[in-house]
Amino acid sequence: MRLKPLTLALAVTALLGTTALTLPAMAQEQKTITGGFDVGPGGFQGNFNPLAATGGFTWLNVYFEPLVNYNADLTAIEGALASEFSVNPGQTEYTFKLAKETWHDGKPFTSKDVKFTVDLAKNGETGTVFAARLGAVSGVETPDERTVVIKLSRPDSGFLATLTKLMILPEHALSGFTPKELATSTWWATKPIGTGPFKFKQYVTDQYVELVADEDYRLGRPKVDRVINRYFKNTAAAVAALRAGEIQFTYVESDDVPTFKGNNAFKVIEGQSFVVNYLGFNQQVPLWKDLRVRQAVMHAIDRQAIIDSLYGGAATVANCGYVAKQLVPEGLDTYKYDPAKAKALLAEAGWDKVNGTKPITWLTYYNTPQAANVMAAVQAMLAQVGINVVPRVVDTPTYNSIIYAANPDFGQFPLVYAGLQNGPDPSGLNIGLNAAQKPPAGANFLRIEMPEVTKALDTALAETDQKQLSARYQDVCKAMNANLPWATMWVANRYGVASTKLKDFVWVPAPAGGPYNAHPEKWSVEK
Amino acid sequence: MLTYISRRLATGLLMLVALSMLVFALLRLAPGDPIDAYINPNVAMSQAEMDALRARLGFDQPLPIQYLAWLRAAVTGDLGFSIQRNGVEVLPLVLERIGPTILLMAAGLAIAIMAGIAAGIVSAVRRNSATDLGLSVAAFFGISSPAFLTAILGLYLFSVVLRWAPSGGMLTPGAPFTVGDLLAHLILPACLLSIGHAALIMRYMRASLLEVLNQDYVRTARAKGVKEFWVIIKHATRNALLPVVTLIGSTIGIAVGGAIFIESVFNWPGMGLLLVNAVDTRDYPVIMGATLIIGACVILVNILTDIVYAAIDPRIQVA
Repeated sequence: MRLKPLTLALAVTALLGTTALTLPAMAQEQKTITGGFDVGPGGFQGNFNPLAATGGFTWLNVYFEPLVNYNADLTAIEGALASEFSVNPGQTEYTFKLAKETWHDGKPFTSKDVKFTVDLAKNGETGTVFAARLGAVSGVETPDERTVVIKLSRPDSGFLATLTKLMILPEHALSGFTPKELATSTWWATKPIGTGPFKFKQYVTDQYVELVADEDYRLGRPKVDRVINRYFKNTAAAVAALRAGEIQFTYVESDDVPTFKGNNAFKVIEGQSFVVNYLGFNQQVPLWKDLRVRQAVMHAIDRQAIIDSLYGGAATVANCGYVAKQLVPEGLDTYKYDPAKAKALLAEAGWDKVNGTKPITWLTYYNTPQAANVMAAVQAMLAQVGINVVPRVVDTPTYNSIIYAANPDFGQFPLVYAGLQNGPDPSGLNIGLNAAQKPPAGANFLRIEMPEVTKALDTALAETDQKQLSARYQDVCKAMNANLPWATMWVANRYGVASTKLKDFVWVPAPAGGPYNAHPEKWSVEK
Repeated sequence: MLTYISRRLATGLLMLVALSMLVFALLRLAPGDPIDAYINPNVAMSQAEMDALRARLGFDQPLPIQYLAWLRAAVTGDLGFSIQRNGVEVLPLVLERIGPTILLMAAGLAIAIMAGIAAGIVSAVRRNSATDLGLSVAAFFGISSPAFLTAILGLYLFSVVLRWAPSGGMLTPGAPFTVGDLLAHLILPACLLSIGHAALIMRYMRASLLEVLNQDYVRTARAKGVKEFWVIIKHATRNALLPVVTLIGSTIGIAVGGAIFIESVFNWPGMGLLLVNAVDTRDYPVIMGATLIIGACVILVNILTDIVYAAIDPRIQVA
């Protein structure tokens, strides 16, 4: 048979394409766990500097370690690099006994490293995000190599929670840098040294980070040889890689969950997001001054119906800004769905004169299809009682530039739809809620000035008796519930999906990725 | 020719400066800066902390001073440091991304040229046949399918369902480099990138060849007894290629746009992914540097196209 030249050329082209297409991907070595550990809202792809981290702690904690850490339930703080710790009755002196550990380069870990790290974290020149949060630290003492004493100028109930996010750094490796150099140093992404169960091997820009087992880890040699954190531009790409069997774990959007449920190859991990979604009332515009208007907003929205229909039931109604059970008291006003009551409240408040049906911009950075549906539902419910909100969706930088502008145009954000990230540490809300935290001092960008709320916050922050702390924050919750600085909506669940080949794998959808004691040294993977 | 090239290069330089000014102005007009992108909106941060970070990055200076400082450094080859990547220098960062992008675009264009020209010839030669109709319909689908759609559908079908190709990246994480591994990761995004171009080239090739096939010299060649295959390949196709070459050159810029989508979907570590990430995080120095280099490449390719065009058709005179 003689092929025509044109046919032959086409056949060769097709053959070349087919051959390349079917080339097998390189099989990975055994005992490697590959995951999208920085996918989703808790991740922070591309950030390697723990001093500048506002997220991504799940991954950072695989090779760095803090002094203390949350347990995997996020209910209590326990030791990490500190084998034990105590605090004096006045809550101003914390003593940490350090575990015996070596850095990944073999040098011993000592109390000097802790002092070095705290000093760096307080120095704004390093680009740290801890400077304000460690503002109460007045000194760090190192009586011996295994003991550290951190002194505070005033009690700070959130101090231990802050320490969970402060990864301890090696003085011997970093003391050669000036603080300013550290802010832009490539050391973080090329040769970082930690004390965690895995050692940094390489970062292939925008592709993946590879860690290898630390043979000398104090809690035992990790069960796998390598952990790889693959980068993805979005969650959908990570889900595709998970389905294709290229990775063993990733965060997934709630919309993807049904497609994994019932599949024996995967295990769905469900947990609370610790983010309360809320409608934020800008107190600089006259619309929301009257409490009855804010109450009307609450009564106008059928939160449970939205949870049932748009979240598939995977969310919980929130009646204040807190999520943790110990912080939410009984007897809060649940603001039942009651449009008639909402209309009556608006009429009492003279809403027709205040605004009537004029459109109100409703600013948000949430741009998922689910968020769009939720906002459309809320918009329709509010319209039924005579409040005409118009959603405006922008990207995160735009949102931040509007709300944090030095001279803000309040007309651009009379109402926002956003999230309150909290979790086990209740003090974090203070900076966005306390009247004393209005910009430029803090981040109370809605300019909330509610004396009852502020007083409750101040009292809780000054509480030195740990046993009374939850009760004080319950008072804050009550004040929020009664005064409605925000119309709190719900706390949605978040999800991760892991291959069933993974064993002893711990992941929780913690705010900012935690950290929490996930014990990566125990993770293993079947062939 | 030398004068022509010099003039084109000088114009290109001026265009680059204009481009940098335009991008700089647009970036500053866009809401949000790198610090705004850095903040997690769920986690409150004080104004003082943000101001300190801005001052450290020099964003507290007047805009003309910021631009002149950038331009002064840029002419010496210093494009600054990435804000969101722990101070990585922009120039090496951008340069290391050119290779993967060129590889992807070259592979995509090569596939598009081969497939497009071959399909165009077949379509023209078998005009009004079922093959012609089928190829034309396929071409219309190819032209009208946006890159982001074909990329996502292709990813789902070939990676997730059929598992014929990896779902993303340029190499298997942690595995040693092999050409086979690279090709396995390249072939799917390159094929998907080629779809729109192949369709466009096919349509141009078909139209151009149909026109040429009616020319007198083609009729003469047939009358002299030259075999039909050689009439088409040697006499007709060569001349029909002229508008197609122009088209290929002028669509390089469009290919960059397509590559941005493909690279984002497949996490291909090229200029497109770099640029999208930089825009997401308002990483000004990276956006400026990447735009400058992409702009330079597009201008250069257009100049090269003009030169190739002149070389193919000696009748074209360049002053």
